[in-house]
Amino acid sequence: MTVALVLAAGLAVACVVAVALPFLREPEPESDVLDELDPEERKRLELLEARDRALAALKELEFDHRTGTVSDEDYRAQVGVLRREAAAALRELGGRG
Amino acid sequence: MPELGRAALVVTLGLSLFALVAGTAAALEGRRRLAQSAQNALVASFVSTAVAAAVLLSALLRNDFSFEYVARTTSRALPTAYTISAFWGGQEGSLLLWLLILTGFATAAVHLNRRWARDLIVWVVPVFAAVGSFFAFLLVAVASPFATQAATPDGAGMTPSLQNPYMLAHPPLLYLGYVGLTVPFAFAIAALLSTQLDERWLIATRRWTLFAWAALGIGQLLGAHWAYVEVGWGGYYAWDPVENAALMPWLAATAFLHSVMIQEKRGMLKVWNMLLVLLAFGLALFGTFLTRSGVVNSIHSFTQSSIGAWFLAFIVVVVAVSLVLVFLRLPLLRSPTKLESPVSREAAFLYNNLLLLALCLAILWGVVYPMLSEAVRGEAVVLGRSYYDFFLRIFGLPLLLLMGIGPLIAWRRASLRTLITTFRWPTLVALATGVLLLFLGAGSSIPGLVAYTFSAFVLATIVMEFARGTRARMALGASGWLTAFTSLVARNRRRYGGYVVHAAIVLLAIGVAGSNAFDSVAEAKLERGQSMRIGDYTLTYRSLSERAGANATEIRATLGIRRGGRDLGTLQAGKNAYTVEQQVSNEVGIRSDRLTGEDLFVIAEQIDPNGTVYFRVFVKPLVNLIWLAGLVFLIGSVITLWPDRREQRRLVARAAQVGLPATR
Amino acid sequence: MARKASPARLVVALVVAAVLAVFLLYTSIAGGGNPSIAPSELAGHADTVQLAGVVVGPVRGDAHAGGLRFRMKDIGGAASTAVPIVYTGSVPDLFKVGRHVVVDGRLRSGTFVAEPGSMITKCPSKYAPKRRGDSG
Repeated sequence: MTVALVLAAGLAVACVVAVALPFLREPEPESDVLDELDPEERKRLELLEARDRALAALKELEFDHRTGTVSDEDYRAQVGVLRREAAAALRELGGRG
Repeated sequence: MPELGRAALVVTLGLSLFALVAGTAAALEGRRRLAQSAQNALVASFVSTAVAAAVLLSALLRNDFSFEYVARTTSRALPTAYTISAFWGGQEGSLLLWLLILTGFATAAVHLNRRWARDLIVWVVPVFAAVGSFFAFLLVAVASPFATQAATPDGAGMTPSLQNPYMLAHPPLLYLGYVGLTVPFAFAIAALLSTQLDERWLIATRRWTLFAWAALGIGQLLGAHWAYVEVGWGGYYAWDPVENAALMPWLAATAFLHSVMIQEKRGMLKVWNMLLVLLAFGLALFGTFLTRSGVVNSIHSFTQSSIGAWFLAFIVVVVAVSLVLVFLRLPLLRSPTKLESPVSREAAFLYNNLLLLALCLAILWGVVYPMLSEAVRGEAVVLGRSYYDFFLRIFGLPLLLLMGIGPLIAWRRASLRTLITTFRWPTLVALATGVLLLFLGAGSSIPGLVAYTFSAFVLATIVMEFARGTRARMALGASGWLTAFTSLVARNRRRYGGYVVHAAIVLLAIGVAGSNAFDSVAEAKLERGQSMRIGDYTLTYRSLSERAGANATEIRATLGIRRGGRDLGTLQAGKNAYTVEQQVSNEVGIRSDRLTGEDLFVIAEQIDPNGTVYFRVFVKPLVNLIWLAGLVFLIGSVITLWPDRREQRRLVARAAQVGLPATR
Repeated sequence: MARKASPARLVVALVVAAVLAVFLLYTSIAGGGNPSIAPSELAGHADTVQLAGVVVGPVRGDAHAGGLRFRMKDIGGAASTAVPIVYTGSVPDLFKVGRHVVVDGRLRSGTFVAEPGSMITKCPSKYAPKRRGDSG
C-alpha cells in the first residue's frame, strides 16, 4: 500500500514539474508573447498556398493529359486558365517581397 | 496497487482540466509559456493514463481478484492472451483504453505538428483536453476500473465467444479508429477558434484521418470475419445497432476523405468539410454511447448503466458548441470558387458525398427509430434487415458505379466527347460481363447482377488507369514497365493508393453480392451414415467424437464431402461446452474453395444424445473475396499513408518563408 | 469576371429531393418494422411483434421437430407475466433459462407462435453478437 502511495506521490510531483517547466526555465523571459502570425504574414501564407494550389493544378492537368483523361481540346482550353492563375499568384507574391 | 491506479486517473483528470483552462487562456491572451505549459500537461496526462493502464494490466496478469474488474472479466483458467484482452472486454477497461489512445494520439499529433502548425496547436491542446477531461471524469467518478472487493478465489471467467484471437485485434482497432477521428475534429475546432481557416488543418490531419478510417475499416472486416467464423450463424453482418455504430462514422469519414480533396485543390466546400468532420466525430462518440447505454435493444450492449446519460449529454454539448462555432465563422468560410459543371470531378465527389451521407443517415434513422417511436408512440418499433438492405442497394450501387467514373473525369469541366472516349472500353467490358453472367444464371437476382456489372466496370477503369499511367511514364523515359509502374505509384501515392483501395471495395462488393444474392441453404436431420445434398455438394455424416479441451468439452461431427463425383475430404462441425462459464458455443465447419472463393458452411445445430445431428448447411459463393478485399484494403491504405518526404519538405519550406517558428 | 449562375445548387437540390423521394417511397411501400414489446404487453396485440424478455423454464420439445416450448416473462418482472412460447428453427447457443432473448412472432390462442429462426439472445456486458436463423 505504501509503495502505491509513494509511486502516486512521485507521479503527481513529476506532473506538476512538467506543467511548471516553462515557467521554471524562463522565470523572466524577454517576451512572453505567443509567436503568432500578424495579418501581413497570414496574407503571405494564403498567397503561398494559392500559388502552390495553382501549380499543383497545372501539374495535375499535365498528368491527366499525358495519361489521356483530358483530351487535347480540353487541355488547350484549361491550361491557359490555370497558367494565368498561377502567374497571378506568383505576381502577387512577388509584389509583397 | 488499486490506489495507484485511482490516483493516476485523478492526476489525469487534473492535468486535462488544467490543459483545458490554461490552454484556452494562453490561446486567448497569446501567452507563450502558458501555452507550452498546457501542452506539457497534455503530454503528462498520457503518462499518468499509461500508469493507470499498467496497473490494470498487471492486476489482470497477476490474477489479482481483489480488483472487482479482474474478478468479473477473467478466471485462472483463462489463457494469457485472453486475459490481456479482458482489459478492453468490460466497460471500465474499455473506457481506460479510449483515454489511453486519446492522450497518446493527442501527444503525437501536437508533437508532429509543432513546427509548421504552431498557431493551430495552441488551440488544438484545449480541445483535446476537453475530450480527455470527459473520459477522465467518467473513469474517476462514474465507472472506475479500480473498484476493490474481498479477493475471491477465482474470477467469473470470460464468455467463450470472446476467447479467440479476434478479441485481441477487433476492439483495439475500432478504438484506434474512433479515437483517431478526434484528431481531425480537434484541428477543425482549433481552426474555427483561431480563424485559421485555410487548408492547413486539413493537411495536418490528412494522415490521421486516413489512419483512423483504415483502422475502422479493417476493424469492421475483422468483426465480420469473427461473426462469420466464430459465432457462426451463417452470416457476417446483422445490421445490429452496434455494428452500425462503427459503420456510420466510417461512411462519414469516407465522405470526408473525398471532399477534403476538393477543398485542397479548389478551395471549395469549407463549411461542408467542417460539418462532415463534426458528423464523423459525433458518430464515433454516438457509437461508443450505443455500445454502453443499453438504450437500444442490441445483442452487443454492455450492462445498462448511467454512463449512457453522460455520453448523450457530452455529445449534445460537443455538437451544439461546434455548430455555434461554424455559424459564427460562416463569413470566413465562404469560398471564392464555384462548381463550374455538373459533369466534373468536383461534381462526382459531391455526388459521392451525398450518396455516402444518405446511406449513413438512413442507417442512423434505422438505429434510432426504436427509441424515437417509443418516445412518440409509446412502442419501440424495430426496423428489420429488409430496410437496411434496401438502402444499401439504392445508395450503394450508384456509389459503386461512381467509383469508376470519378477518377476518370477531369477537374472543373469534362466534355462529352472526352467522356465517351474514356469510358468506351470499360463500358464494353461491363456489358459483356453482364451478358455473360446473365447466361450463367445470375439473372436470379437483379441487384446481384447489377453489382457484378458495375464491379466489372470499375475494375476495368482501375486497370485502365494503371495502364495509362505506366505508359505515360514510359514515354517520359522510364526503362521498363516495372520501373515505370513502381515510380508511377511512388510519385503519386495518394492517387494510386486510392485506386488500390477502390479495387478493395469492388472486391468487397462482389463478395457481398455473391454471398448474399446467390447463396443457398439446406437443412436435414441426419443419423450416422446418412447424406444430404446442397447444390453440387453431397455431405455424408460419418461419425461423432468428444474430447476434453483446455477449458471445454469439444463435440464434433465429421462429414465427408463430395462434389460432382470427386472426394473433397472431410469437414468437422459441432459444439464446445465450457465448464467454468457453463455455456455452449457453436463451432462451425467451413470448407473454402480456393478456386471459386466459395464456402461450404456447416452448422451442427442440434446434437441429440443418440448421435442424431440436425445440420444446417450454406453454400456462399465468392464470400472469400470479402476477406481478400480486407488485405487489398490494407495494402492500399499503407500506400496512401506512406510519408512523402518531398511534400513534407515543401510544407516546412512554405512555413519558413512566412516566418513561422521552426522549432520550439 | 462575370458570375455565371452556378449549377451546383440545382444539382444538390435535385439529388437531395431524389434521396427524400426514395426514402418516402420505401417507408410507404414496405411499411415500418415490428413493435418491440414485453410479454406483459402482449395481450393487446394481434399483429406480428418482436417479443423481448427472459426465458423461464421448463424448456421442453425440439426446435427442429414439433417445436421448442418454453415461457418468457418481462425483464425484471414477476413470474406472473410469463407467456407460453413455441419456437421452431435455429436456437442460439446462449439460449438457456434466465437469458434475455428476443423473438418475432404473433399470439395465437394464448400461445406465442414464433417465426422460424427469429430468435436472438442478448449477451449482457460483452461484445459479440449471438444470432441465428439469418443468412448473409
